[in-house]
Amino acid sequence: METEVNVELQRLAEVLRHSWKMVRTPRMKTILKVQAVACDAMRSYLKSEGFIELLPPIIGPVTDPGIRGAKQATFDYYGREYKVMSSAILYKQAAMSGLGKIFFMSPNVRLEPIDSALTGRHLVEFVQLDLEMAEASYFDAMAVAERLLSEAVNTVRDTCQRELELLGRELLTFKPPFKKLTYDETLEYLRMRGVKMRYGVEIPWDAERFLSKVIGEPFFIIDYPRGARGFYDREDERRPGILRDFDLIYPEGYGECASGAEREYRYERVLARMKETGEDPRKYAWYLEMLREGIPPSAGFGMGVERLTRYLCGLEAVWEARLCPKLAGIYSP
Amino acid sequence: MSLSKPFLNVFLSLHRFYSLFSDLAEMWSSYPFREIIERARKGVDAIYPADLLKPSIMLLKGANIYKQPTRYATLDELLLLPPAFTPLRLKKMSELLREPIFSDVDLRHSVGGFNVNMPAVVASMGSVQVANKISLEIARGAARIGVPMGIGENVATMWGYSRRVKRNQPSFKERVMTYLESLDGNVGGVTIQQSVEDAYNELWNRVYSDPDIEPFIQKGLIGLEIKIGQGSKPGLGGEVRLSREEAERLMDKYHLSEDPRSSARESIERHSAPGTFTPEILRGMIRMMRNNYPRCRIWVKLGPFRDLPEVLNVLTSEGVDAVWIDGREGGTGMSPYASMRHLGLPLVAILCHISRQLESRVGSTSFIVSGRLYDGGHLVKCLSLGLDGVAFGRPVAVSAWVAGSRGVENYLKTVELEAKMLISALGKYHVRDLSREDLGCLDRDIAERLGVRYVYS
Repeated sequence: METEVNVELQRLAEVLRHSWKMVRTPRMKTILKVQAVACDAMRSYLKSEGFIELLPPIIGPVTDPGIRGAKQATFDYYGREYKVMSSAILYKQAAMSGLGKIFFMSPNVRLEPIDSALTGRHLVEFVQLDLEMAEASYFDAMAVAERLLSEAVNTVRDTCQRELELLGRELLTFKPPFKKLTYDETLEYLRMRGVKMRYGVEIPWDAERFLSKVIGEPFFIIDYPRGARGFYDREDERRPGILRDFDLIYPEGYGECASGAEREYRYERVLARMKETGEDPRKYAWYLEMLREGIPPSAGFGMGVERLTRYLCGLEAVWEARLCPKLAGIYSP
Repeated sequence: MSLSKPFLNVFLSLHRFYSLFSDLAEMWSSYPFREIIERARKGVDAIYPADLLKPSIMLLKGANIYKQPTRYATLDELLLLPPAFTPLRLKKMSELLREPIFSDVDLRHSVGGFNVNMPAVVASMGSVQVANKISLEIARGAARIGVPMGIGENVATMWGYSRRVKRNQPSFKERVMTYLESLDGNVGGVTIQQSVEDAYNELWNRVYSDPDIEPFIQKGLIGLEIKIGQGSKPGLGGEVRLSREEAERLMDKYHLSEDPRSSARESIERHSAPGTFTPEILRGMIRMMRNNYPRCRIWVKLGPFRDLPEVLNVLTSEGVDAVWIDGREGGTGMSPYASMRHLGLPLVAILCHISRQLESRVGSTSFIVSGRLYDGGHLVKCLSLGLDGVAFGRPVAVSAWVAGSRGVENYLKTVELEAKMLISALGKYHVRDLSREDLGCLDRDIAERLGVRYVYS
């Protein structure tokens, strides 16, 4: 079928066929340097806040199922089934139960639907800064997220002037605290501007891009309704149906930066929530056993490193921010 | 005039034989001897009606549900009542510039977010050998006619996602692609169920990221179906009988009646879990599906449950594309005797239960029913009650066994033709024109509940 989409996909596949050569171009060298500066800035900020960086597990019997229609990469592990981490959420709760404040620079693999290849914001293989803090609320997590992002943006703006100039990018100064809109307020905001959407679902990409453009500064969307998120986002006991979670959105149309929540850590609640996703609890045996034995309440978030780089460098597509990028359905080095 | 003596003697001895026989038959039928003897001889094998015949024949034949102690009303209780005055025929005439006949009836419709050439659906058939074996014939036939088709649970887990695990059993993807590639334009659609066991292998995610299926997702031809039960065994999971070798291959994924490695039995039942639902779980699940698979239709299949109105409220408020309710008459191929005898509402009772919801329809959710429906009359009666279509299971399977995909096409065409005849007899030419005024009922109570006329009033 020769649709416009297919033509575009073929063009991308051609571009990526020699992706290993791109790292020699001045543009890509500059992008990866900026990325390194941002990562250093985030690491030193988190260190100063008492977080410990751990090496992330990258395979295991289960992984994060809350990945919006993407498939997990499954492989044969000595005759049993294993997964490549789609995110380290389950392991980061385990790590937090021992060390309190932790983060990973965690490589993730998600076999995204083919239509994601052209969104400019999806990669099949990417890295996220995945962070978890014990005994914290989602407000605590948001406070860390906004300072972390500001640190990265402001450091790059101050120390990478030459690189930014080369990329033709001018960065805003980020000043936390960021604005917080609830999910309901966001829907209302969109409705007033003629964008209609159904209550209870994720905010669609184009609506998110629209918000990101018109609001003009980084902001949080908080309190998503239950059903929109994975089983580990905690429901507010005083407001049934509302989750204590958030997305952090970049300005200038770049969309989602980070996604986080307070965690549901009670065994029975997690079990019931798992049913909503049609999950087989048998599969999560070790995780459920850990919850049944008890772990501390916590909150955390994940921030995509390539998307951050895309924002910092003002890139059209996120694949430019990665060495040998992998896009849905495209076979490339 | 008297009968000759030898003739009389023959007559009397025949009569004696008959009396003896009928006494014995009466004794036999006054108590379930046969059933109890079967239980005593065969143990748990006897709780399924499948063991007298080969399972494959049983699955096609279904159980003899109407000869059970409690008989209930069926759609035969309803009659279609044509009028003499037919203003819509006049309207059609002015459109056609000639007298309309039955072939002018337009059965094209929209069911569950798919365009259809007639308001019928080929019921989701699962992984049972006998259904899977003929599934490609069914797929071709259904696609050529332009009606949606369901693919039931456990097919990918049992027979492989794309590569066959057994030479004579098509894989899941063969079933999907055969249907999609046989479609003529954007009419029809395929819905896919995912059991707890299929979820383990992320069936829906796999479909949604499959490059071969992607073009059809783009065209809106793919639906995902949540199964919350089926007709003859509401509240029980799928039951399939497997050969010992097959059971051994699948023992990690399913609950089996016994360990196939140590069992002396030829065949072993594979049980799957019915799934657990509450209003919150169901709502959450639908929202999750909308988020994860925004380009797929969402269908929900329900069994004959007593809380249907409550369930329908959740489903219509979440705006699912189709709700399909299976009466207790449906899916009798591999159900335990006990469930067929004692569980669930008959189809007509379901129609009474949801009558109000059908009358005051809001939103775009389609309603479909099934359960021993097999002709154009059944279809037209259901449409007149406000349903958007009916699902056919066994008739399509039997047709495929008898004459392959051509058989499926032939069968569906007979239903189509009958429906056109009956609708035109009612003086109507479009599905949406049918209404309760077209129906009468032989039973006063049912008539009242369904809001149709009592034929003797």
